[in-house]
Amino acid sequence: MNGRPAIKFNDLTLGYDRHPAVHHVTGEVEEGELLALVGPNGAGKSTLLKGIMGELSPLDGSIDLDGLDRHEIAYLPQQIDIDRSFPVTVFDCVSMGLWREIGIWRGIDVRRKPAVTGALSALGLLDFVDRVIGSLSGGQFQRVLFARLLLQDARLILLDEPFRAVDTKTIADLIVLIERWHKEGRTVIAALHDIEQVRAHFPKTLLLAREVVAWGPTRTMLTPENLARAGQLSAAFDAEAEICERATPPQERESV
Amino acid sequence: MTRRLLLALGLILAALLAVPQGASADDKMKVAASFSILGDMVKQVGGDRVDVVTFVGPNGDAHVYEPTPADAKALSESKILFINGLGLEGWMTRLENSSGFKGKVVTASTGVNPRKMVEDEKTITDPHAWQSLANGKIYAANIRDALIAADPAGKATYEANAKKFIDGMTAMEANVKAAVAKMPPERRKIITTHDAFGYFCSAYGMEFIAPEGVSTESEASAQDVAKIITQIKKEHIPAVFLENVTDSRLLDQIASETGAKIGGTLYSDALSAPDGPAGNYLDMFRNNIDMLSTALSS
Amino acid sequence: MIHYLIDPFMDFVFMRRALVGCLALSLSAPPIGVFLMLRRMSLMGDAMSHAILPGAAIGYLLAGLSLFAMSLGGFAAGIAVALLAGLVARSTVLREDASLAAFYLCSLALGVLIVSVRGNSIDLLHVLFGTVLALDDHAILLIGAIATVSTAALAIIYRPLVLECFDPQFLRSVSRWSSPTHFIFLVLVVMNLIGGFQALGTLMVVGIMLLPAITARFWAQDISGLVVVSVLAAFVASLIGLLLSYYANVPTSPAIILMAGVFYLLSMLVGWQGGLLWQLMPRKHLEA
Repeated sequence: MNGRPAIKFNDLTLGYDRHPAVHHVTGEVEEGELLALVGPNGAGKSTLLKGIMGELSPLDGSIDLDGLDRHEIAYLPQQIDIDRSFPVTVFDCVSMGLWREIGIWRGIDVRRKPAVTGALSALGLLDFVDRVIGSLSGGQFQRVLFARLLLQDARLILLDEPFRAVDTKTIADLIVLIERWHKEGRTVIAALHDIEQVRAHFPKTLLLAREVVAWGPTRTMLTPENLARAGQLSAAFDAEAEICERATPPQERESV
Repeated sequence: MTRRLLLALGLILAALLAVPQGASADDKMKVAASFSILGDMVKQVGGDRVDVVTFVGPNGDAHVYEPTPADAKALSESKILFINGLGLEGWMTRLENSSGFKGKVVTASTGVNPRKMVEDEKTITDPHAWQSLANGKIYAANIRDALIAADPAGKATYEANAKKFIDGMTAMEANVKAAVAKMPPERRKIITTHDAFGYFCSAYGMEFIAPEGVSTESEASAQDVAKIITQIKKEHIPAVFLENVTDSRLLDQIASETGAKIGGTLYSDALSAPDGPAGNYLDMFRNNIDMLSTALSS
Repeated sequence: MIHYLIDPFMDFVFMRRALVGCLALSLSAPPIGVFLMLRRMSLMGDAMSHAILPGAAIGYLLAGLSLFAMSLGGFAAGIAVALLAGLVARSTVLREDASLAAFYLCSLALGVLIVSVRGNSIDLLHVLFGTVLALDDHAILLIGAIATVSTAALAIIYRPLVLECFDPQFLRSVSRWSSPTHFIFLVLVVMNLIGGFQALGTLMVVGIMLLPAITARFWAQDISGLVVVSVLAAFVASLIGLLLSYYANVPTSPAIILMAGVFYLLSMLVGWQGGLLWQLMPRKHLEA
């Protein structure tokens, strides 16, 4: 890691309708990091990822993406709004990952086809090329989405609960892919709920409970005490909440 | 809570409906006529003694009219309602009911010998009886008698007006017959959009052909259009005529395919605006026969 | 036998014109209908056809039976309603269907009000209900132009449109084409409705847009298949409808749309993809 920040959070507060879902986040994600975003339900993990993507405007503070265009970020959202009954094949769906190259008009020609088949092969989908997406299982469909992400060839990859409702074999294969991305120097941030997975594969963790609880190497940050504190801090919106006066809440930090 | 609210609303509505409509008195007798042609006839006979309100105005389509609340109010204040009858005003019953009309309904076509026509294996009555001046005289007489019955004091005026009006019709009849006589027999054919001239044709010796049926509501079929085109071509009919109440596009198409001219606009179911070529009943005939003569005599 | 099919068109100019008009409409409207159906927006076509009506009525009031005025008015009204509905859906709690319903109903009421205030009692629908038997040069030109523009535009936005239909999130994340595509598609819907209403009247236009597309669902799975089948179905329905109107003396536009409806019912029974008949006859399952 070269220490250059890929993402800088400046006292960031994100939320809906003036109620913060996550507030006063300050810190940096270095380029090439493999960061796990952990926290209980309602901790603001999805909100933070949406904020990075630009889908949500900050209520306060800002996010600095080091000049990266948001269309160059690969994003796998948690609520997949995909219409699975739509008549589109695996090949078509995956090849959309090349959007930045082909735009609305250029075709998947001889030059580009190998990239697509390469991605399909990496995810074990070569036998499924012509199947419509509606005929796939949950795990197979998740592979399709990852194949598409792979093709996007993005510097920054955001994954929101990528392993939810997916079989273990697929999870194992997807983790191999994530580690490959990490080796290629891409920045990967994944929101996860399985602590053991995080401990096994993710060197850095950001523990979130509507505010930063702990941020640093997984080994030292993901302690039972921190996890307990995170559990306490998470709560629903307070409809009677006062205006927030704090600048930075107490948190545990360790940089590498 | 919601149920009581709904109940209260229902009661308020019922109360509103029960409020009676008041009528007001005036110098002139207020009467209503269903459409412009009839309205003009009532004005001609009633003169200054009546205040006529007409529902379907100039260039309006009396077959498919939508009455407004203003119409209902006007009707409720009228003493007599003059309608054509013979199935023209399908919307009239609704208007009568909604206005709570308590006056007299006079069917102007009473005593007319109605034409029947066969349309798609159904026999229906042709309502356009006013297109024959002989019938027009019957209309005028009916109007006169109804006005006298409602306003006996005006008997002399009504009789004088009616006589003048009917004399005018007699003169016009002579004009029309003379004009038709000048047309070569094989050219005495009217082609126009709907079958409004049945009475005119049988009274004055002409023939009509139309792609739509009696009412403006019906849509033409390809067979209808094909038949007319074939006939025009076969019989070398020189002109087709537009109407002021229907869409001319179909007729334009027929004209362009057959080479027939557009012979002008005929007034069938409605008068023109008062300053137009057919602002009253007799002018309507004058306009129509002029158009026909010009196109078909040469 | 063949000459029964050909004679009416050989003998009469108006029949040929009607066929040309229907051909143009069959090329441009059904593909739009395919996308409407795939996006679960089938009823939107009907709502939009009501929304353009008042615009066309105002055009008529201002300029008489002018094709240009009525088309322009209808187009403006349709686009306005579509834009406003979309805007409201994006910036308030209302979803697209509620916001569209609100706007098209207002539009319709406004149109009826304006026409009746003017006191002209010519039945609105009747005036705007064109007939395919009376397509003059201008009407054919309009329908043809709309067909060309619509087909070309659809080809250009095909890819983002497909993406917008089945994965709008992804499209938003990689491209700025999401909103423009949505908007262009709505413009195409309105344009085709305008083109169609000259020939078939507003009520029937939605029929030629949607019925063939829905029919195609029983014969094809992929989008190109759906498009091809829907265009064919529309054209054959138009052809048979015209012939029925000629030989059986029935009004033309209902004949065409009912024919399209008959195709739909038949397809529902015997279509290869999920036809009821095949569902009732269990077939052995495949190897893999």
